[in-house]
Amino acid sequence: MADATLSTSYTEAAVVAASKERGEPGWLTEKRAESARAFEALPMPTTKLRPWKYTDVSSLAIESFAPDAAFEPVVSGVGPQGAFIGSLAEAAADATFGPIVEQHLGSLIPATEGKFIAANAAQWQHGAFVYASRAKAFEEPVTITLEASSGAVYPRLLVVAEAASDVTVIVRCVSGEDAVLASQVVEVIAGADSNVKLVFDVDWGLGTQEFTTVRAKTDRGADVRIATLAIGGALVKQSLEGILEGEGSQARIRGVALGDGTQHFDFVTLQDHVGAKTQSDVQIKTALAGSSQSIYYGVTRVEETGLGAAAEQENRNLLLSRNAKADSDPVLEILTNDVIRCGHGATVGPVDQEAFFYLQSRGLDRRQAMKLLVAGFFNSVLSDVGDDALREEVAAEVEQKLAVASI
Amino acid sequence: MTEPILQLKGLKASIADQPEVQILHGIDLEIAPGEIHAVMGPNGSGKSTMASTIAGSPSYVVDEGQVLLNGEDITAAAADERARKGVFLSFQYPTPIPGVTMVNLLREALKARRGEEMPAREFLEELRATLSRLKMPEEMARRYVNEGFSGGEKKRAEILQMGMLRPSLAILDETDSGLDVDALRTVAEGVMALREPNMGILIITHYERILNYITPDKVHILVKGKIVKSGDASLAKEIEANGYDPILKELGLLEGATA
Repeated sequence: MADATLSTSYTEAAVVAASKERGEPGWLTEKRAESARAFEALPMPTTKLRPWKYTDVSSLAIESFAPDAAFEPVVSGVGPQGAFIGSLAEAAADATFGPIVEQHLGSLIPATEGKFIAANAAQWQHGAFVYASRAKAFEEPVTITLEASSGAVYPRLLVVAEAASDVTVIVRCVSGEDAVLASQVVEVIAGADSNVKLVFDVDWGLGTQEFTTVRAKTDRGADVRIATLAIGGALVKQSLEGILEGEGSQARIRGVALGDGTQHFDFVTLQDHVGAKTQSDVQIKTALAGSSQSIYYGVTRVEETGLGAAAEQENRNLLLSRNAKADSDPVLEILTNDVIRCGHGATVGPVDQEAFFYLQSRGLDRRQAMKLLVAGFFNSVLSDVGDDALREEVAAEVEQKLAVASI
Repeated sequence: MTEPILQLKGLKASIADQPEVQILHGIDLEIAPGEIHAVMGPNGSGKSTMASTIAGSPSYVVDEGQVLLNGEDITAAAADERARKGVFLSFQYPTPIPGVTMVNLLREALKARRGEEMPAREFLEELRATLSRLKMPEEMARRYVNEGFSGGEKKRAEILQMGMLRPSLAILDETDSGLDVDALRTVAEGVMALREPNMGILIITHYERILNYITPDKVHILVKGKIVKSGDASLAKEIEANGYDPILKELGLLEGATA
């Protein structure tokens, strides 16, 4: 990409000017400048870094993708009293919500952490902010639609759930066939005893490369669930992380991916047990047709302070064709002797031949049998999503994709 | 004369992964419409291989001979094709299908068998009726296929599928194994109640227990991959009383075979 035209939007001067032009508050402009400097200073991740071992981005230049000025997340939903659902930029400039945004934005995922994150912190424009006030429950999920057309998009989402609140956010990702670079950053601050559910419906076109970091921090007794359903995209790399700080808090991370062609999925998970009696449960499942591939690297960490923690970590990869491949590496880092249970499991392999014959003996041909087995394989994750309409939509997408996938 | 439901003509079959190991050494068998046949034999005689081979399991290859269904040669047909033509295998060890409910499986299987979707109302009515014949709670149909089922539930679930799919040939592979007396009676009575008048039934069993509830028209004794003796239901009674040894001795086959 060395000969590609590089966008001038990434320099500190350009970033600061754009921030001022948008009329952002001073503190945000300062953050922008810092982010732009970090972006300039940070190298692209190399395959020497464990989370990037199998996703080589050395030939990718972020600057060769001009930020898409027209990109704007569509945020919709109705919240209870005191809630905020809408643009992050507007919230940042708001008298009531500005201080909340200032306090939390970048607090979990600092711009200096990595090149893609720095690019996002410097470039996001509208963003989305969901705020659930104390002890209030949203009746309906908040939906955020990310529709990208070309160039670089920088979706930014901040969810702040105050104590004992309850909110579900569904992020839908769509794009056409043009080349898109999507670098997404999502921070979730889950207050004491809050329930936060976050679902990603990844249905990008086949020209899109996604790099996402989702990090949730839990206060005492909070329950955070993150689910990602990846069907589309040329390259989807997501890091889904739960920082379990508060005693008795829990995180459940689920992911399914259905690959075909040359699709490349890369999931990283982190279950960081900081607080006592924290619980986490990760399940990532992929089914891979064509020459698609999936990479999983997950760390379960129980800190010295994570007494009585319980963690499960599971990665299953179903190879539907001879050319599909998967690499799985679940890691446990246990720094205390006092854990309730800490399990992990990983499998990579073709569909169970006995199950396959069983379905064939009921009259299902190869493709019908595969469809049913894959649908079943995903079902545990889909049934956990809890949103019936979304679940049916994804089930239909899976069905459609498998009707033509090379298996 | 009507065509037999099933004809095996000199059927020889081996293990797919070990072609040098032939299990069936030439089986001849003919089941007329509405007939019930039982194939009995000591362990290792090839009973389950026979069931699987008729159903088209890729674990076995046919070396010689033919399998005919309603007069049509299906020896080279894949398992799913045979099933659509009317072969049903009730598995000795039904496989769990994680995440797939029985309702889901039945709908797909019926669609495949009939070539079109069955109307939802009709499907539900039939499912309810079939479940009740098998004394199965409706909740069973919403559970994942064979996942966490008890032995008895698994076998009942197999017969449920038989009842819904209405095959022309039902092969019951050790359907009686692992069942207590009550469960066995329910399953056996279910088979009789759900049987279509012209359906051929092939019961594969080690013990004669199930034959106390389902009276076979013919009984065949399979030893070392060959049918060594055929008779009527009284042959099963003979085995119940004396075991396989007297028959094996009479045929000079006792050595090496275990009862």
